[in-house]
Parts: sequence; structure tokens; C-alpha cells
Amino acid sequence: MASITLEKLWKKYGDVEAVRGISVDIVDGEFMSLLGPSGCGKSSTMRMIAGLEEITSGNIYFDGELINKVRPRDRNVAMAFETYALYPTLNVYENLAFPLRAARWSNADVDKRVQEIAGILEITDLLDRMPAHLSGGQQQLVGLARALTRAPRVFLMDEPISHLDTRQRGRMRAYLKRLHIELGHTMIYVTHDQEEAMALADRVAVMDQGLIRQVGTPDEIFHNPADRFVAGFIGEPPMNFLECEYSQEEGRHVLRHNSITIEMPPHSESWAQRGAIPQHVTLGIRPFYIDTGLEKSVRHTIPAEVFVVEPLGDMTVVSVNVLETRLQIVTEPDFRAQRKQSLWLAFDPARTLLFDAETGKALANQAWNQERAAGGTGDIKAS
Amino acid sequence: MERRQVTGGDLVRYAIIFALLIFFLFPIYWMIATSFKAPGDILTRPPRWTFQPTLENYFYAFEQANFGLFIKNTLIVAVVSTAIVIVIGSLAAYSFARYDVGAGHLMFFILSTRMFPAIAVVIPYFVIFRDLGNTVIGQALSLGLDRLGALVVCYTMFNLPFGIWLMHSFFQDIPVELEDSARLDGYSRLQVLLRVVLPLVAPGLAVTAIFCLIFAWNEFLFAFMLTRAVARTITVGVASFWTQRGILWGPLSAAATVCVVPMLIFALLLQRYIVRGLTFGAVRG
Repeated sequence: MASITLEKLWKKYGDVEAVRGISVDIVDGEFMSLLGPSGCGKSSTMRMIAGLEEITSGNIYFDGELINKVRPRDRNVAMAFETYALYPTLNVYENLAFPLRAARWSNADVDKRVQEIAGILEITDLLDRMPAHLSGGQQQLVGLARALTRAPRVFLMDEPISHLDTRQRGRMRAYLKRLHIELGHTMIYVTHDQEEAMALADRVAVMDQGLIRQVGTPDEIFHNPADRFVAGFIGEPPMNFLECEYSQEEGRHVLRHNSITIEMPPHSESWAQRGAIPQHVTLGIRPFYIDTGLEKSVRHTIPAEVFVVEPLGDMTVVSVNVLETRLQIVTEPDFRAQRKQSLWLAFDPARTLLFDAETGKALANQAWNQERAAGGTGDIKAS
Repeated sequence: MERRQVTGGDLVRYAIIFALLIFFLFPIYWMIATSFKAPGDILTRPPRWTFQPTLENYFYAFEQANFGLFIKNTLIVAVVSTAIVIVIGSLAAYSFARYDVGAGHLMFFILSTRMFPAIAVVIPYFVIFRDLGNTVIGQALSLGLDRLGALVVCYTMFNLPFGIWLMHSFFQDIPVELEDSARLDGYSRLQVLLRVVLPLVAPGLAVTAIFCLIFAWNEFLFAFMLTRAVARTITVGVASFWTQRGILWGPLSAAATVCVVPMLIFALLLQRYIVRGLTFGAVRG
């Protein structure tokens, strides 16, 4: 097991900049997830850690030891692949034994280890089968087992369960988390599925366009997103955004969306007093934190018109139009409304977030403050 | 299972199949039949369907025309040139498939060496091998005129581009993750090639080898121009029955029959691999 440090890591393919100078520390025994849309550089980052891709510039350390030039086979990392990558000509037993044979283990030791790992992953009765005769879930288990036989320093997983069906995926997710708790390996998990990343990881690194937008615990990422991208990427249905104008009127701080007045989030007060809030801001609120009322009231002050109602069973997702902007609201499972029906919305001010409309950076956000205090370790892109 | 009613469509279908079989197989039947006919039974009108079989033609081909030597020569040339093509070609194809050596230009250059007819290079080759045969190196490597080494070089030259292109597609079909995985599992690139890639690509290599062997076995032009007696191959040997006294149909048919049989047996033995190899890409999905 090892701690991993990435230092100003770059990867260029010709003119394409896949990874653009990311730095992150992964603690020994941590489950770190690299999360981002396809093409964000997360797989390139993982392949550089594995040694399968050359590093354009920057450094990678395992336990403080520079491993840029170390060959993949000498890094003692194990990897589970999206496509499982089982050797089709070998049966399950030989697939598991393959890494051990490379290390020239004796047959007796190989057998002991293979049986042990097969026992842990409960695939002992599959050992004689060929990979082609296994189901997707079984192949994935074998792939994980093979990665585990060598007791690697770092365990890398590249979207390992994205080809499974929903039910199996849920089972495997719990299983992987359990495995990490029991074995305590340093694990890096690449995924585009925010649910997987949030459910599994100790910390999540959200990536976009070759940059790390934010590193934090799932709670930090969810509640204190560093910028608009992270806020919009995490959460299902995604966070709602409303363009607003900030102004001071008669000593009061006011947010306006055209004719609608919205209450300032209380945590932005100190920022407002310092004059650190620009005129154009984006207000963000998660669908779960919008309350609906049928009548206008003291609380329900924002007029909206129902666009569509989606009953999902566990909840009902209502899409509404607030003037020109479409918002999604999570309501009670039995909530029903007619198309074009009028609703009045209330935003929970403690749950609203403010972003700079130009740069997308979070304003008055706890994570953002920490980021500032630390001197900007996480390369937040201003675009 | 219930027996299906034979329909008119079935009859037409089988009639067409039967006609095609006759069309393709009759020449072979006639060749084999002729090889067992006495001279008086061969060029008769109407053709004689029943005759007293004789081995006279085979004795003539092997004893008078020294056909055993030709078969031996052909076998050596075909097997050696094919082996060279597979070894060099598979390594080249692998590097093209995985490292994109030459960014496609090199592969195109290799293909371009096949863009002229063989007849265009046979005279230069004749001159090259004539002169090479007089040098020490040429003699040591058996590269002169009427030497087997010269034919091996020519057939390798001709089969290599084809082999590289064919094997390139087989290598490309192997998921790169398998190799990544093996590299992480502690294997060097060469070990990955030998232990992971080659077992998977074996059917593809078998197919390539078969095509190369068949080409070398049937090649006529180079063998005709570059050999006289010692290194003569079967195709030239068969043609040599076209003599000033006329065409010796009996021995010619006997020799041709002997030529066909080894390839036939070979193809039947490897049929499983041929089918697997030709459908390699399709099956993997």
C-alpha cells in the first residue's frame, strides 16, 4: 500500500491537452475517485499512474519515491478494466495465477493464493471455467480477483462496473466498498457516474477539461461545490441555476431575477459587506430544496408555471418555468399537477449557493474559502 | 424432428449446387483420370470414360522427369519463405498495430511494393541473382541462379507485404487492455507478445501461413526464370512436359495430381483455423 502524489501532471497527445497540470495527494489506504465527463482526462491520469502512458511533464510519487521512469511491471499496481480484460485463452484459475507466474511463484504458493482470493470473492466454483462462459458480473469479479492476487501497492479501477446492469451495479458497488474496508488498499476509481463516485469514495476529485475542479469528501463536493461546473455535475436531478442581479438598495442586499426578488443566502452576508459580490451572479439551488405552494404566501413568493410532471415512484420531479428559466423540483411521490398550472416556489435561503456569473466560481462558499486560504492548490480554472 | 416436405425450391437449389460442383470439380476429376490412362486412352474422340488404369505416367514423372526433386525443392522453398514471412511479418504487423510506426506511410510503402506486376521485376532479379551467384556471400547463402535461396528471397519479398497487412488486422482486433493488464501483471513487452498476444492471434497467423504457402507452391514465373535444373520447382516441372515431341498429357496429369494433393490435405487439416481466422474480426464483435 502506498500514498500517491501527483505533481503538476500534464499529458498531451500531439496538440490535444488531455491533462493540464493537476496536483493531488492521495493518502495511504484512501479510496479516491476521479470523477468527470468523458474526455476530462481522468483515464489518462489513471494510465499515467499505472505507467501505461508516458508523462508529458510533472511528477508522480509513490510513498514519496519518484516513479516517473519506473516500468509498469515494476510499479506493483493492479488494475481492473472497464472491459474486464480477462485472458481469453486461459481459464479463470490461470487468469488469477497469471500475475503470480510472472513473479515466479512456486506452483504450491500460486495454488494457495489463488484459492484464498477465489474464496474471498466467492468464485471458487468458477475456477475451471473459461472467461467466455462467464456472465458480465462474474467476469468482473474474476477481473477484480486477478488484480488482488498480488497484494498491489495501489489498486486502480477504470469504470469497472459500468457495463453491468443496474441491479448488479448496485450489488457490486456495495461489494467494492466492503472490499476496500476489509483490505485497506489505496484505491483509485475512475468513473463518469457521480452516484458511484459519491457512494464509494473517501474523497472525490472532480475533473473537467484536463483540470481538477475540486477535491473533497462527497459531502463537501455536494454541499460546497467550488464552482458552477461541480455544482451542476453532481446531483440528480442536477442543480438549478438562475441568473440574478445583485444590488444594494437602501442598505439592504438584494438579488433580483427580472421582476422577482430572491432572498440572499445568509452565509453570503460577510462577502456582501466586504463588497466581494459582483453585479451578475448565478444562484444555484438543488431540486430537493425548493418548496412548492399552490397559493402565493409569505414564503412562497416565486411564480412558476408547470411544464411537465415526471412521477418516478420514489419521488416526483416537476419541471417548471420561472419566466424564461426552466427549474426542476423534487416533490412528494404523490404530487401531481396540470400542465401550465401556476405554482409558487420558496427557495430555502440557507441552501442556495451563489456563483460569479462570469467566472463560475462559488461565492461565499466554505470550500472556496478554504481553497483561498490554502493558496489555490487545486488549479481552479477561470473561464 | 419431423421430416420436411421437399419443395420445388429445394430441387432447384440442389440442381444449381450440383451444376456448380460439376463445373468446379470436373477438371480435377479429368486430371486425375487422365493421370491413370495409357497414352492411347487419352486423346480419343469421343472421350473414353472407362479404361484400364495404369501407373505408367507416375513412373515416367518420377523416374524420367525427376519429379521427386521438384517436390522437395518446392517444399523447401515454400516452407522456408513462409516461415520467414510469419516471423518478420508478425513482428512488423504488431509494431504497426500497436506503435503506429511510420504513421501509416511505412505500411503504404510496403503495400506499394506489390503495385507492379511480377514480370516487371523478374529481369532485374535475374541479373541480380546471376551476379550475386558469383560472389562468396551469394554462394554461401545459395543465392545464385538455379539456387533455392534465390527463390526463397523472391517469395519472401512477394508474400511479406500481403502477410503484414493481413496480420496487422488480426493484431488490431486484440483489445489493447489485455496487453495493458499483462504489463501491469509483471510481464515485459516481449513476454506480453509471446504469452498473451500470440496465442490469441494464432488462427490469424495460420491463415496467413496458408496463403503464403499456397502462393509459393503455385508460383510459376520466378521459378521459370530463375531456375534450370537443380532448383526447379513443381510448376515449372509440370510445364516441362510441354516438349518438342508434343504435350505429354499422361505424365503432365500425373505430376499435376501430385502437386494438388499436399495442399488439399493441408487445407483440410487446417480448415478449422482457416474459418476461425477469416471470421476473426466478426466473431469478436
